[in-house]
Amino acid sequence: MTASNLRLSGGVIPSKASPETTPLSAPTAVRPSRSLRWRTMLAVGARMMFYDKLKFAGTLFGVIFAVILTTQQIGVFLGLLSKNTMFIDNAGADIWIAPPQTATLQAGKPVPMSALYAARTTTGVAWAEPLLFGGGTISLPSGGSQAITLVGTEGPRWYGGPWNLVAGAADALAQPDAMIFEDSQRDDLGGLNLGSVREVNGHRVVTSGFTWGLLPFAPSYAFAEYDYARSLLGTPSDEASFVLVGLRRGADATRVARDIRAQTPTVDVMTTAEFHGRVVRYLLISTGIGATTGASTAFGLIVGLVIVSLSMFSAVVDNIREFGTLKAIGCRNADLALMLFVQSSIYGLLGSVIGLTQITIIADAMRSPKLALVLPWPVFVGTPVLMVLLCGLASLLALSRVRKLEPAMVFR
Amino acid sequence: MTNEIGQPRVVDVRDLGKTYGSGEAAVEALKSVSFHAAAGEFVMLSGPSGSGKTTLLSILGCVLRPTAGVVSLFGRDIATAGEDELPALRLGLIGFVFQGFNLIASLTALDNVALVLQLRGRAAADARREAATLLGDVGLAEKAASLPRDLSGGQKQRVAIARALAGRPPLLLADEPTANLDGHTGLQVTELLRDLARAHGSTVVIVTHDNRIFHLADRIVHIDDGRIQEEAA
Repeated sequence: MTASNLRLSGGVIPSKASPETTPLSAPTAVRPSRSLRWRTMLAVGARMMFYDKLKFAGTLFGVIFAVILTTQQIGVFLGLLSKNTMFIDNAGADIWIAPPQTATLQAGKPVPMSALYAARTTTGVAWAEPLLFGGGTISLPSGGSQAITLVGTEGPRWYGGPWNLVAGAADALAQPDAMIFEDSQRDDLGGLNLGSVREVNGHRVVTSGFTWGLLPFAPSYAFAEYDYARSLLGTPSDEASFVLVGLRRGADATRVARDIRAQTPTVDVMTTAEFHGRVVRYLLISTGIGATTGASTAFGLIVGLVIVSLSMFSAVVDNIREFGTLKAIGCRNADLALMLFVQSSIYGLLGSVIGLTQITIIADAMRSPKLALVLPWPVFVGTPVLMVLLCGLASLLALSRVRKLEPAMVFR
Repeated sequence: MTNEIGQPRVVDVRDLGKTYGSGEAAVEALKSVSFHAAAGEFVMLSGPSGSGKTTLLSILGCVLRPTAGVVSLFGRDIATAGEDELPALRLGLIGFVFQGFNLIASLTALDNVALVLQLRGRAAADARREAATLLGDVGLAEKAASLPRDLSGGQKQRVAIARALAGRPPLLLADEPTANLDGHTGLQVTELLRDLARAHGSTVVIVTHDNRIFHLADRIVHIDDGRIQEEAA
């Protein structure tokens, strides 16, 4: 008899009670469909995983911890970036004209007004407005003072003006001595209310409105009408901190920026996206924030990797006889690998769902203008993918143990 | 190929050798062993600890490679079978009963039995139906939903027998199946294994040194020091 004529016929083997001498019609190997086999292994893998509830909870806790730590770091980092770029993103400009080598949104070397006029005459430009940025101090009723970031914006369109207003309106800046302050800083600024009169840089100002959440990584923004701000800051009339440019419908920002740059070679001309990117790059590379946050995020991932890896390895070691039995009764390494992968995927997905729910609750609880975790939707989509990959990686240690496992161990 | 009375040989082992380790640390567990079992036979391998009987069983079970000789199951030389073929051969040809029962702790008695059937390609519902029948055959129909931790030793071994019989494998290999059972239960379990194996038409090879069950064997093969010392009908 040769291997080629073997076939499965478990029922034809004669029993001792009815011996026969005809040639044995021999059974052969069983090769069921892969999908059926894998469905079986998925079910067994899930059952094995949930059976040891303590180990399951421990491993899951590791994943949840990693998710919370990682997303918290990412959220803080994005919040930090947001604090430094929110003005750029909300100013309503398509193009920014800034002092040369500008890396952050701070008052520095002034931009000459000639840049404003050049921009206004450039094809494709709908409008161009000057913007003032500068440091200021507000005198407190108690006798002290508090720093603010004074922003001067031109009416009546108020580009670069206040947004997220919770009291008053931007047009109120047109009133004499009017200023709009940050609501979350009212107490720090001396218990401000609408109509409160204070002194800023030695000049009388009237509180005309409040914004919410406009707290950069610097003193809070306080808005004033452009000319009034110029007088508060003592800025010459032929200078501005920035020039904001809006485009006509259909105009190409990059091309218009290039045309403005050709007329004003002494300043930086950037699209809003370019300016945003430049600030982010500066923060990431030059300040060490990127390295610090990246290290913390990596730490969270490594902790998760180690916990899941050791937990799954220990689960395999604890159940080594069961894995040996599965091998002995005919499971292949690929079947067991699939089982481990499914277990690790469940850990990754379940841990992500619970961890992301937790971090959302934490983010809501701690949300304030001073400290906001920014968690955009890619974090919620990317985290489960990342954690499944991480847990898959973590299962490799367990898999290597299973692969080396000799099924003969079941007889020892 | 047939035996002396014309029965086809299910197991045919010739000049089998197995050495563990190498050099000075080498241990020769089997020395030129020749052995066979016919279809439907109920054979016991006996011998003292370390005699090589479990090594022989492991080789017959396709979970261990011999270092010399020929091992033929149903005319197929398994010593030359590829590594990838062995799991499918085990699944298709062999049912195992282990000394420590080796049930999957997280699966119910029914699921432990159905698992083998599903691995063999049976749909889940079909597998569970047949598993329930097999559990009925071993007298454990009412324990189908029990986890192994809730079963006695004898019940676990009966579940293990039902699992070994799942899919009607033509060869059953049992390693000390009575070692963890009291004398009465051990005898009952072995009788059950013999009766069901006969009903299923399976050949059974049992490794045991439990002389209380020797009388159930069609043939007893005594191994010592890696060699077959004697055979008795």
